[in-house]
Amino acid sequence: MTTDPQRRLTLLRGTVLLLFLVLVGRLWQLQVLQGEEFLRLSEENRIRSYPVAAPRGIIYDRQGRPLVSNRPSFTVSVLPMEVEGSQEFALLGKFLGLDPAEIAKKVEEAARYRPFEPVRIARDVSLEVVTKIEERRLELPGTLIQAEPVRHYLHGSLAAHVLGYLGEISGEELKARRGQGYSMGDLIGKAGIEREYDPLLRGTNGRLQVEVDAVGRPLKVLGSIPPTPGNSLVLTLDAELQRAAEEALGDRKGAIVAMDPRSGEILALVSHPSFDPNLFAVGISAQAWRRITKDPGLPLVNRAVDMTYEPGSVFKVVTALAALDVGVATEKTAINCPGYLRMGNWVFKDWKAHGRINFTEGVAQSCNVMFWILGRQVGAERLAEYARRLGMGQPTGVDLPSEARGLIPDPNWKEQEKGEPWYPGETLNMAIGQGYVQVSPLQVARALSAIANGGTLPRPHLLRSVLSPEGEVLEKVSHGPLEPIPLRPRSLEVLRDGMVAVVTRGTGRSAAVPGLSIAGKTGSAENPLGEPHAWFGGFAPAEDPQLVVVVLVEFGRRGGVAAAPIAQKIFAAYFSEVGLRPAHGTGSSLGAEGMVPQEARGR
Amino acid sequence: MATLRRFLKSLDWTLLSTTVLLVIAGIFLIYSATHMKGDDPWAFVRARFFHLFLGVSAMALLISMDYHALARLWMPLYVVNLLLLFLVLIIGRETQGAQRWISLGFLGTVQPSEFAKLALVITLATHLSSRRGPYRRLRELVPFLLHAGVPMILIIQQPDLGTALVYLAILFGMLYAAGAEPRPLLSVAGGGVALSPLLWLFLKDYQRRRLMAFLDPLQDPLGAGYAIIQSKIAIGSGQILGKGYLHGTQTMLQFVPEHHTDFIFTVVGEELGFVGAVVILSLFLVWLWRAVAIAMGARDSLGMLIAVGVTSMMAFHVFVNVGMTIGLMPITGIPLPFLSHGGSALVTALMAVGLLLNVWMRRRKIAF
Repeated sequence: MTTDPQRRLTLLRGTVLLLFLVLVGRLWQLQVLQGEEFLRLSEENRIRSYPVAAPRGIIYDRQGRPLVSNRPSFTVSVLPMEVEGSQEFALLGKFLGLDPAEIAKKVEEAARYRPFEPVRIARDVSLEVVTKIEERRLELPGTLIQAEPVRHYLHGSLAAHVLGYLGEISGEELKARRGQGYSMGDLIGKAGIEREYDPLLRGTNGRLQVEVDAVGRPLKVLGSIPPTPGNSLVLTLDAELQRAAEEALGDRKGAIVAMDPRSGEILALVSHPSFDPNLFAVGISAQAWRRITKDPGLPLVNRAVDMTYEPGSVFKVVTALAALDVGVATEKTAINCPGYLRMGNWVFKDWKAHGRINFTEGVAQSCNVMFWILGRQVGAERLAEYARRLGMGQPTGVDLPSEARGLIPDPNWKEQEKGEPWYPGETLNMAIGQGYVQVSPLQVARALSAIANGGTLPRPHLLRSVLSPEGEVLEKVSHGPLEPIPLRPRSLEVLRDGMVAVVTRGTGRSAAVPGLSIAGKTGSAENPLGEPHAWFGGFAPAEDPQLVVVVLVEFGRRGGVAAAPIAQKIFAAYFSEVGLRPAHGTGSSLGAEGMVPQEARGR
Repeated sequence: MATLRRFLKSLDWTLLSTTVLLVIAGIFLIYSATHMKGDDPWAFVRARFFHLFLGVSAMALLISMDYHALARLWMPLYVVNLLLLFLVLIIGRETQGAQRWISLGFLGTVQPSEFAKLALVITLATHLSSRRGPYRRLRELVPFLLHAGVPMILIIQQPDLGTALVYLAILFGMLYAAGAEPRPLLSVAGGGVALSPLLWLFLKDYQRRRLMAFLDPLQDPLGAGYAIIQSKIAIGSGQILGKGYLHGTQTMLQFVPEHHTDFIFTVVGEELGFVGAVVILSLFLVWLWRAVAIAMGARDSLGMLIAVGVTSMMAFHVFVNVGMTIGLMPITGIPLPFLSHGGSALVTALMAVGLLLNVWMRRRKIAF
C-alpha cells in the first residue's frame, strides 16, 4: 500500500470527528442553551393523549332489525399523573357515590403499569354528575370526562342468552389475548354472540392528542387517530319469532329452539329465566352481580344450549328410527300392550294399557310397551349408534361459547365409567329416553332437523353475515354441504307418519295448527328434582319441513299439556302471521315458502 | 488452548466492548420506549434478545471465514442480493406505503435492503480491488457507479430513500479510499445534485411532506412537522442530566412517533440528557475510530476497502439518524445502529462488526 490511502483514511477519520462535533454542538444548543425553554414546552404546554374507545359493531336480526347498538355516554376517568391527591378522590367519590379509597386503589393499581393512561372510574354517568365535575374543574385537574359509546340492547332481555353481555376484561383474558390489541379496563364479550364474535365486533381504539391548559381543560385537538368501529353482524334470528316464542313460554322455566332444518339457521332461541344485558353494559355492580349469580333460577345459563336434560319420550323417535332402519319394525308391526312388560322378575309399567296397537298408533300414543319391545330387539349398542348419528351426546358446533355435550350411554361406556355391567333393563329405560341419556334442547332440534330434511345433519348456527361498519357484506356464512346420515328413506317416511299422528290424534294434539301438517313427539322426562320435565319437538309442514321447534318446560309434567301448546303458538306465529312469512329465507326461495301457508289455509 | 488464546488476542477488544456497551444500552432504551406499548412490557425486549442471538451467530460465522474467501463469492453474492431486492418488490409486505419486508412466516419478517448494504460493501470492495486506481477520469468510475446503481434503483422503488442514500455514502467513501481523484468524484456528485429535481417526481407524497417539513416544521405542525417538533422538545427538555431513566414524558406519552425505532435517540436525549447523549455518541465515535484504524492496518486493499465501506455505512447511519432527531437532517427513516428496534438492522450491524474483526484478525503482522 502507498501512503496515499493512509492519508485518505486520515481524512475519513477527520470527517467522522467533525460530524461528531456537529452533533454534540447541536445537542449543546438544544439541551443546554435552550433546554429550559424545551422543558417548559414539554411540561406547561401540556399535550395529553388518550385512547378513544371504538364503538362495537351493531347486531341485527335476519331482517336487518337492530337488536344491539350503542348509545353515547360519559365516562369519568382519572389521569394518575395529574391527580391532586386525596381531596380529588374524595370529591369524585362524593359526586359518583363511590368510596374514595376504592377509587384511589383502582388508580394506584393501574398507574403501576401505565401512569400516563387514563383510568376509568365510572361509565355512563349522568349529565348532572358531569356538570358537577365541570363546575369544580379547578379542584379536579386529574379528572377527565370522555364521551364513549355504551352497548345498548334495544329490546332488553329479548334473546339475552343469544346476544350475551359484556364485562371488564379479566387478568386471565388479557393474558390469553396478549398482542391482540386488548388493554386493561376494556369491555369484552363475556357470553353469547358478544363473546363468540368479540374479535369481529370490537373494532380498534383510536387515539386523541389534545393540548390542555394547566387545569386540564382541552385547548385544542392536536391530532387524532379515529377509532375503527367494529364489524356488524347479521344473525339468523328472527326478532318477531323470538318475541312470539318468549311470550309463548311466559314465566315458565325452560327453553325453546326454532330452527330451519334445511340449513341449521336458528330462528329463535329462548331460555328462561332471563336477564337484561343492559345491566352489564357499563360493568355490572358487585351487588347486582351477586344477585344474578346467586339466583337459584340460574338466569345466566342458556338452557337451550348449555344444559342437558333427560329427553324422555322425545327419544322414542330415535328408538323408532333405529327399529325401522335395522328392520325390527315396519309400518305393519303391531303389538299387544297390556299396560306393562314383564322381564325376568321385573315388571315395567306403562302409563296406560293400549291393547292391540300398530306402529303408527304406538308412536302417536307414545306406548312405552311397544318401544320397550322394539328397543330390546334393537339393542343398546345400536340405539346409541343411531342417537349419535343424529348428533345427540355431542356438541352441535353452534357458534356459542360453553355448549354442553350431553351423553348417549352404551354398555361399553358404563363399564368404563361406572365399572358395572349394563343391565338389560337399562336398554328398556334408554329406549324411552330415561336413565343416563342427557341431551340439550338444541341437540334435539338438530336431530329432528335431520329427520325432517331427509337425513342430513345440519350445523346449527346464529351468524348469517358480517358487515363492515359502512354496511358492506364482508362475509356470508354458508352452511356448507350437510353431512348425510346413513339412513333408509323409507324409515324416515314411516317415522314421519307416526309423528304426524302424534299431533293429529295422539299425545301432541295441543300442538296442532289448523291447516298445517305438523309432525311431532311429546315427552315427559322423569327427574329426581321434582315433577317431570315436559318436552315437545316437531317440524312443519310435515311434507316439506321448514321449521323445527323444540320446547322444554322444566317441571312441566306432561309434554302434551305443558310443552305442545307453546310449540303450537310458535308454529302459528311462523306460518300464519303475515309479517313473518317473508322473514324466512331470501330471494327465490321466498315465493315458494310463502305459498305453503296459503295453500294450507285453503284446505 | 493456545489457539483459543491466540484467537482471543487477535480480536479488537475496543471495537468489541463499544459494541457490547451499545447493544446493552439499546436493550435498556427499547424497554423504556416500549414498556408502555401493548399489554406485555417485555415483548420488544424479548424480541431483541432473539435478534441478538441471530446477530451474534451471523457475526461468528463472518469471523470464521477469511474475507478473501468471501470476496471470491462476490458474483453470486451480487446476483442473489439483486434477486432478493427484486423479490421484495414482488412479494414484499407493505406498511405505511413502503414495501420493504419479506415475510418468513412465524419467524417474522426480514428487510433484505439492510443486508444488501453489506453485500454492496463486499462486492464493491472486490470489484474496486480488481481494477486498481487511482481513477483520474469520470469514465473510469462508470463500472462502479453501475455496480452500486442497479441495487439502488431497486431500493428506491420500494421506496426506501434513506437506504438508497446509505448506498451513496458507501459508494463515495469506498471510491475515495480506493483512490478516486476529487475531480471525477465531484462531477458525479454535481451530476447527482443536478438530477435531484427529477428525483422529486419519483418521491411518494409522504416523502415530499417529510422533506418540506424538514425545511419548515411549523408549516405542518400536526403532520410530518409534528414529529420533528416533538422530537426536538423531547431531546431539548432532557437538559443536561435528563429526566431520569423511564421518566421521559414526551416519549412515554407517545408524542414522538416511532420512538422505539427511528426515533430511539429521543429517549436518550430526554431521559439521559446531554451527558447521556454525548456518552452514546462517544461510543459511536470510538467504534468508528477503531473501524478506520482497522482499515489502516488492513493486509491489502480488499480488507481496507471492506473496512472503509463498513465505516462509511455506520457513520452515515449515526449522523443522519441522530441529525434527524435534532432537526439537522430530514426524516429519512434509517435506524440508529445497535439501538433502534428492528431485527434486520441489528443483525446487519453485528455482521458489520464481524467483517471488521475478520479484516483485523488477518491484518499484516507489523503494527504501526
